Amino acid sequence: MSGNMRQYAFFLGCIAPNRYPGCEAAAIKTSAKVGIELLPLNGAGCCPAPGAFGAIDLKVWYALAARNIVLAEQMNMDITLICNGCYKSIWEVNHILKHDDELRDGVNEVLAEADMEFKGSIDVWHLAELYYDDKICGVDKLASTVTRPLTGTKIAVHYGCHLMKPQKERHFGDTENPMWIDELVEALGAEAVQYRNKMQCCGAGGGVRGYDLTHSLDITNEKLINLQEVGADALTEVCPFCQLQYDRGQVEIQEKFGQTYDLPVLHFNELLGLAQGMTPQELALDLHAIDCKPFLEKIL
Amino acid sequence: MAETKEEPRIGVFICHCGTNIAGSLSIEEVKEYAESLDGVVVADEYQYMCSTPGQSKIIDAIAEHNLNGVVVAACSPRLHEPTFRTATEEGGLNKFRFEMANIRDQNSWVHMHDWKGATDKAKDQVLIAVAKARMLEDLQPKSVPVEHSALVLGGGVGGMQAALDLASAGIKTYLVEKAPTVGGRMSQLDKTFPTLDCSQCILTPKMVDVGRHPNIELRTYTEVENVEGYIGNFTITLRKKARGVLDPTEAEARGIVGGGCNGCGDCAEVCPVIKPNPFEFGMAPRKAIYIYHPQVMPLQYTIDFDSCVKCGLCVDACGPEKRAIDLESVDTFEQIKVGTCIIAIGYDYIPIEEKREWGYKQYDNVITGLEFERLICASGPTGGHLIRPSDGQTPMKVGFVLCAGSRDNTGGVNKPYCSRFCCMYSLKHAHQIMEKIPGAVPYIFYMDIRSFGKMYEEFYYRIQNEGAKFIRGRVANILEDPITKNLIVNTEDTLLGRPVSMEMDMVVLAAAIQPKPEAEKIRQMFGVSKSQDGWLLEAHPKLNPCGTTTAGIYLAGVCQAPKDIPDTVAQAEGAASAASIPIHTGEVQLEPYFAQCVDDLCAGCGMCLNQCPYGALDLVEKNGRTVMEVTEAKCKGCGTCGGFCPGGAIRMQHFTSPQICAQIDAFLLEGGEQ
Repeated sequence: MSGNMRQYAFFLGCIAPNRYPGCEAAAIKTSAKVGIELLPLNGAGCCPAPGAFGAIDLKVWYALAARNIVLAEQMNMDITLICNGCYKSIWEVNHILKHDDELRDGVNEVLAEADMEFKGSIDVWHLAELYYDDKICGVDKLASTVTRPLTGTKIAVHYGCHLMKPQKERHFGDTENPMWIDELVEALGAEAVQYRNKMQCCGAGGGVRGYDLTHSLDITNEKLINLQEVGADALTEVCPFCQLQYDRGQVEIQEKFGQTYDLPVLHFNELLGLAQGMTPQELALDLHAIDCKPFLEKIL
Repeated sequence: MAETKEEPRIGVFICHCGTNIAGSLSIEEVKEYAESLDGVVVADEYQYMCSTPGQSKIIDAIAEHNLNGVVVAACSPRLHEPTFRTATEEGGLNKFRFEMANIRDQNSWVHMHDWKGATDKAKDQVLIAVAKARMLEDLQPKSVPVEHSALVLGGGVGGMQAALDLASAGIKTYLVEKAPTVGGRMSQLDKTFPTLDCSQCILTPKMVDVGRHPNIELRTYTEVENVEGYIGNFTITLRKKARGVLDPTEAEARGIVGGGCNGCGDCAEVCPVIKPNPFEFGMAPRKAIYIYHPQVMPLQYTIDFDSCVKCGLCVDACGPEKRAIDLESVDTFEQIKVGTCIIAIGYDYIPIEEKREWGYKQYDNVITGLEFERLICASGPTGGHLIRPSDGQTPMKVGFVLCAGSRDNTGGVNKPYCSRFCCMYSLKHAHQIMEKIPGAVPYIFYMDIRSFGKMYEEFYYRIQNEGAKFIRGRVANILEDPITKNLIVNTEDTLLGRPVSMEMDMVVLAAAIQPKPEAEKIRQMFGVSKSQDGWLLEAHPKLNPCGTTTAGIYLAGVCQAPKDIPDTVAQAEGAASAASIPIHTGEVQLEPYFAQCVDDLCAGCGMCLNQCPYGALDLVEKNGRTVMEVTEAKCKGCGTCGGFCPGGAIRMQHFTSPQICAQIDAFLLEGGEQ
């Protein structure tokens, strides 16, 4: 089997392994079913977080991200990842350094101290992107791995800012009204439900969560109201930080604003894992702040 | 060539142009320098050489000093060459014995703060002009006869006005329209600003007039296939598209006396094919045999052969008397001869759906201004009841997004120019909903309100007073509430300096306009230039706004630049006037700048043929040799062939090689000493 597998260096990030280990487990197991093998990117550092590092010193941001890319270059493999923040840092730095000779020389001067050199020889992918790409997996192939269709559930998709913006540097086509993750969700048998202000930020990114929690939760609260309005059974995203904001944010909103939603929030890989027959225990869904049971009852 | 050497006797006249020239250089020094030049017998200066006393100086000097060449150092030949040529002629000289030195546009205006530099440059310019003037020859303008007929391309309000004016001036006018009816965009409008008269009511009489006028040959459902010739003698090939329905004249020609289409509509009633009506932007159905609307001109049905299944039901319904329907009809061709042409092909809208952030074609309740016109129009698909496309409800909060693509430099479908009528029609729309729907509130999202016309600003005040809300700021995006299908308009209120997010029942985009896709092909056929944005280019934006750089071709309406109805009609009348002048004169004088072939030197290689942008050259047999021949009426004197000719056989009149070499020699050998 492994002879037909496409191999990718798997960049874990920080939130998935630390807060939602189910995301990590799910990614490795679900991808294997469509012929994608994820290998650990040994020695990887922080992505580094785009808002926190980028806002203080861009050069540090470029250099640290480039170091992660070089590790994959040494493995001679493309990187794949499951977090929008990591995507912003690693995909974008890879893209920028490939196109800016002067900047690349500057970064390589720094990397030389660690006997490393950015060559620009690999590409960076979000795992969801690989699932959608017809040349690698594609919607049909993904659907063929489903053993437990999520029929009868209404699932809302949150794309996340760092995946889609800045528009000029992305390659997803329409970043105002994207539907490709919705298509992936429908491939699992669920109904991808539309909601108001779908493309608005989750409230966490860009350092807002760290800087002003109340304001950050206010944004999340509005999105939750909109999600409740359309009767979503669950929210799915492709970013553990958005997941954290929506999931733990509901607890904080309950404490601060007294509003309760109890909306299960699942990373797309967790959702895919369920559709492929993985158990809630395998996916560590009990570590979520919001109980996934009402959703699980609909499909199990 | 002209070896009849006469002693040059040249007069030089230097214009102050008020302080335009005299304020930046020394007129006196230039005059003294001119007097010192070879062949100059008199030099003079005057405050305004173009004035009557200024011109008298030239006329008098020609007689007094027996001049055979005149040089005026002044503004630009574009502005006053004809003026000074006339003066030269009045003084008794051939008018091509005149040469101009542009010491204003090309000197005093550019070197405003360099007195000595400007003075020295003016001396050089006069030196060069005198060098050419010494070698000028008498030239005789040619004249060609002009056909007593005209073509108007495009049957919108501009084209109809131009055709009516030409026809009323006694000129046989072909009005060619590619749609099955005349009327154009204006017939899709409900009311017109700021008078609020019903668009169709004021347009229909004109449509009827063009159909009735004895001097107008109306050709609907017809396109221009080919254009040949030059001013006075254009040969135009028209393609009459297969209409499938005969008019009474065509029927009679086939021996069906008293037959042909009378517009009864029996055919459409039985037609089984239903298609969206493009006139209603697909919001209403039409049959495969159709008319756009009840007022079409001519009232004659048309078959859409792309949709027709040729079932023959219409043929039976039409009956044996009329026999108007011919399902086997094919395109036919016709050649017409005309003296002048007016292009009035109108405009198109940008594909506003490509601005994804505004949601057109994604969200049901985002529509364009022109769709709004149909939805509010009594003869439109809803009988004049404005409804939300999503649920048929009456919208109470309607957002109007102005500059939707206009005045936008950000690339993509965006256009840097102002589309010029959107502010006004959006104000009109705001008025219409407040009038028709009690309690409805229009919200106008604008960057500026450009209400520049007669009674326009007053109309703006009126709409303000009626209760329309104005929010200044470019709309960032429009989102849809998936449940209610309401629209959330996100923008910045730049007067309050804060972001606003407002929920609307419906949003109307004032989409930018752009040239029609077919404009490119048409302008190439007629030899018309285009501006950066693709609009057809007038000869001069201020002094020749209806003409083009190709003699005998004129422009009217929005194909030249965005215009509202009054401006379109005014320009159409101007174009008709300009196009009728050569026809009434009966002949046109051609500047004698055309190329001449010196047959003895011509090797007949034909390389010049491909260089000529005007198709003015041919190879002909003369005295047993193949030589080039110029069709003088087509030649613009651009000199491309002359510069290219490997044998030096082509002589450019008024710009001969000896004349140009003399100018270069004068500058390099005599002048320039600092």
